[in-house]
Amino acid sequence: MAPAKTHQSQQSNAVHSLWTAYNQSTSSRLKTVDAFLVFLMLSGVIQFLYCVLITNYPFNAFLAGFASNVGQFVLTASLRAQVNPQNRSEFKDVSPERAFADFALGSIVLHFFVYNFLG
Amino acid sequence: MHFLSTCLLSLLAISNVYAASLTLQSPRFTISSPDATQLRSEPLSTTKKPSPLVLGAKDVLKLTFQVVEEEGKGVQPHQTFLRFYDEVSGEEGIQPVRVTTGGKAKFELNMAKPPASLPPTTSTDPLKVTLIIGSFTHDPFKVDLFDLFLPASQPAPQHPDEPSFHSLPEIHHTFRADPKLPPKFISAAFAGLVLAPWVVLLGLWGAIRPTVPHLFSPNILPFLATLSAFEGLLFWYWVDLKLGQVLLYGGILTVPTLVAGKQALSTMGKWRTGRK
Repeated sequence: MAPAKTHQSQQSNAVHSLWTAYNQSTSSRLKTVDAFLVFLMLSGVIQFLYCVLITNYPFNAFLAGFASNVGQFVLTASLRAQVNPQNRSEFKDVSPERAFADFALGSIVLHFFVYNFLG
Repeated sequence: MHFLSTCLLSLLAISNVYAASLTLQSPRFTISSPDATQLRSEPLSTTKKPSPLVLGAKDVLKLTFQVVEEEGKGVQPHQTFLRFYDEVSGEEGIQPVRVTTGGKAKFELNMAKPPASLPPTTSTDPLKVTLIIGSFTHDPFKVDLFDLFLPASQPAPQHPDEPSFHSLPEIHHTFRADPKLPPKFISAAFAGLVLAPWVVLLGLWGAIRPTVPHLFSPNILPFLATLSAFEGLLFWYWVDLKLGQVLLYGGILTVPTLVAGKQALSTMGKWRTGRK
């Protein structure tokens, strides 16, 4: 089974090298934001699994929680894209400070609507 | 006053002369069978009703009379009606009677071809027959002639739409059962699962160890404080406040936030460009 083994080791090699490259080339600030994104994704997935598997009884609660996860993910991802120095050429007229201000405002409005819906 | 009373008296005298009263002369009825044999023939009295008349399914009732004034002069009144009235059901039918100029009148009721004006009849209740005469120049005249037993009529045909006007059967609502919460163990387990990503997050941040060199600088701290105040306000809204209050407090809090934010972000910008 030599070809299968090399295929698998090739795959794991690719993943390993991707992981190493990511670790080396990303600044710690971006990694912080990435950790937050991973957290949001996990949280949303688990809430969705609960709704699908167990019950959706307080449906507004599920919607509020899930929407908060999704909304926050979108805001954080856009912040990361705008703040990343490697993307400077694409976001010429949006300074990182402006991006953060947008992120803060958007988060506050999102939290307001989520709390409203949570009831 | 004296003049008015004489006027009224003279008016009454004139009206008396005008309003003569009417009466019937030689009223008579005859019941004959279809083969023209006379079953019953009697004169009618305006004061006393005869025994009730009974008509078979094909018999004929003939009624003759003459309308006269008190002096005996024949009068053709303006309106002459026979009223057939069922006291029990309240149904009535009006049949006009033709009267000659001399006051002579003849009315025929053939049960083989009954007029449409007859009311519905039952086999047990009689129809009271009344003669009603109205005239512009005489007092009105009404006399109960006799009671009449007619064969029972068919029941009224039912209109095809009639059943739709009855009330529908009462609706008994069956309501869905209230939604139940899952058992506490499952709820608790999944609550723990949902909070698990926080552990992951804290673990990752611990591994990354991001530095916050300027967190407590006087340029940055007020902005972070106002942002935390906003989050606290929203949590307070969730537990206690009303919408108007949170919007008001949020509006008030926006002002220092904007000021502090401008300060903090411009400082960050200067540091970033300075370093570059």
